[in-house]
Amino acid sequence: MIGNSDLAQTFWEHGKAADCPIYDMHGHMGPYHSIYFPRAEPADMVRTMDEAGVRLLIFSHHSALNSPNLANQPSIAAVRAFPDRLRAYCMVNPNYPEQMARDLDAFDSLFPDVYVGFKFLSDYHQIPLTDEAYRPAWEVADRRGLLVLAHTWGGSQYDGEAVVRKVAERYPNVKFLLGHSCHGAWDAAIALANDFPNIYLELTAIFDDRGGIETFVRGAGSDRMLFGTDLPWFDPHQAIGVLLNAGITDEDRHNICHRNAERLLRPIVPGVVGD
Amino acid sequence: MRFFDCNAFFGLPAKRPLAPVADVAALLAEMDRAGLERALVWHIAQHDVAPQTGNAMLAEAIAPYSRLYGCWTVLPNQAHEFPPPSLLFKQMREARVVGLRIFPSSHRYLANAVSMGELFEAMVAARVPLFVSVHRGMAWRDVYDLLAEFPELTCVICDHGVWGEDRMFRPLLERYPNVHVDTAQYLLDGGIEALVSDYGASRVLFGSGFPESYFGGMMMAIKHARIPQEAKEMIAFRNLERIIEEAWL
Repeated sequence: MIGNSDLAQTFWEHGKAADCPIYDMHGHMGPYHSIYFPRAEPADMVRTMDEAGVRLLIFSHHSALNSPNLANQPSIAAVRAFPDRLRAYCMVNPNYPEQMARDLDAFDSLFPDVYVGFKFLSDYHQIPLTDEAYRPAWEVADRRGLLVLAHTWGGSQYDGEAVVRKVAERYPNVKFLLGHSCHGAWDAAIALANDFPNIYLELTAIFDDRGGIETFVRGAGSDRMLFGTDLPWFDPHQAIGVLLNAGITDEDRHNICHRNAERLLRPIVPGVVGD
Repeated sequence: MRFFDCNAFFGLPAKRPLAPVADVAALLAEMDRAGLERALVWHIAQHDVAPQTGNAMLAEAIAPYSRLYGCWTVLPNQAHEFPPPSLLFKQMREARVVGLRIFPSSHRYLANAVSMGELFEAMVAARVPLFVSVHRGMAWRDVYDLLAEFPELTCVICDHGVWGEDRMFRPLLERYPNVHVDTAQYLLDGGIEALVSDYGASRVLFGSGFPESYFGGMMMAIKHARIPQEAKEMIAFRNLERIIEEAWL
């Protein structure tokens, strides 16, 4: 067994724990050009979620990320098919301001039944988070206190720690989820979490960097960390195994797996988020 | 459930990582904490300093611990930096070293018949396994070239990356019957199940990628994979046991 706590024993034996549901705050869906996915369709992903005790996945479809032709339609369809298990981030691509305007216009009609906030992918769209083109979406999110999951990567000119700091100063009401936690810039990510109470460290990809979990728990606190897997990229059981193996407490594991997410989501999707 | 890790190292890298594992005592403590029974290990000095230096450090460190097996690093031998294969294999047997690693791009040579034909032919004959890492020291194109020249080589491709490198390693699994892949960084949801379905459980080995990755991540993924218990045990420890037993060291 990979840990010595009661929680570890339950997860190890059963693959999930009823008293520790998981909210996966960073997912995707559908095929992607540079990787083979065995389980990328909604029903397959929900089965994976069932096996690992993932109560809710918040995602942005790969087509929404990279095809302005399809935009958010595949995400919307998937949430409509699994309304108790899925919510989506409204993906905006600032390379297409006319499409972004349509996405923002449609947002109200899809919130909160489909959307919980926005997803930004600056490194891939090659427009910094601070760019004027993002401003309409940031302002909607800030005015309404929405979740924004932004891909962030250490040192990036588009979404690295310095860029994140600038937008965090501008939009203090956004619930700002740092996707990948400025990967590699560990100290800077901790400093951001300590300096901005609305910033959360999302752990996709951190689960494969031994020491990252303990470093964040020590520096920022487990009440600022969120479970994420990029599903269908990464097996949630791998992430769970890391949490059980890491040198942290069961209280930390509860915070990371569900308590922090419940605090963020309960005002938005109370019927889906358990007490 | 028992686990035998095929891909772990210890020792301090020249560049400090997040969570260094300085010595064999620290390695064993982490193995115990994770419930890991045995491991095939190497010393980072084999890569960062010199194979000869790191090999000696490894042999000395693991000698008292029967749950640890060693994996040495080799080089082309035109400059007579290593003994001939027969003597090398004898030294391996005496040191509980059961496999070899190469880092050709880091150590500046080409892993092919011109450079290392004598050693690779001897490894094929004795079924000594070669471990390569596409994360550290060897590119996919070089792995393809090596296996084209030595198609019978027992080879374990490690650290193939979080971007699901199926399109890279599946052609090798199909073409070469003695090629295996490890699980380090193979985080792909459903990946293990798909590999077992297409190629059988005998081609996949549990490897953690420790200390850069946690032991527990892939242990949990294997334990709860949608495959039969027998397949889980093959991946977790039996395949590596088989490869070691088949080697005529």
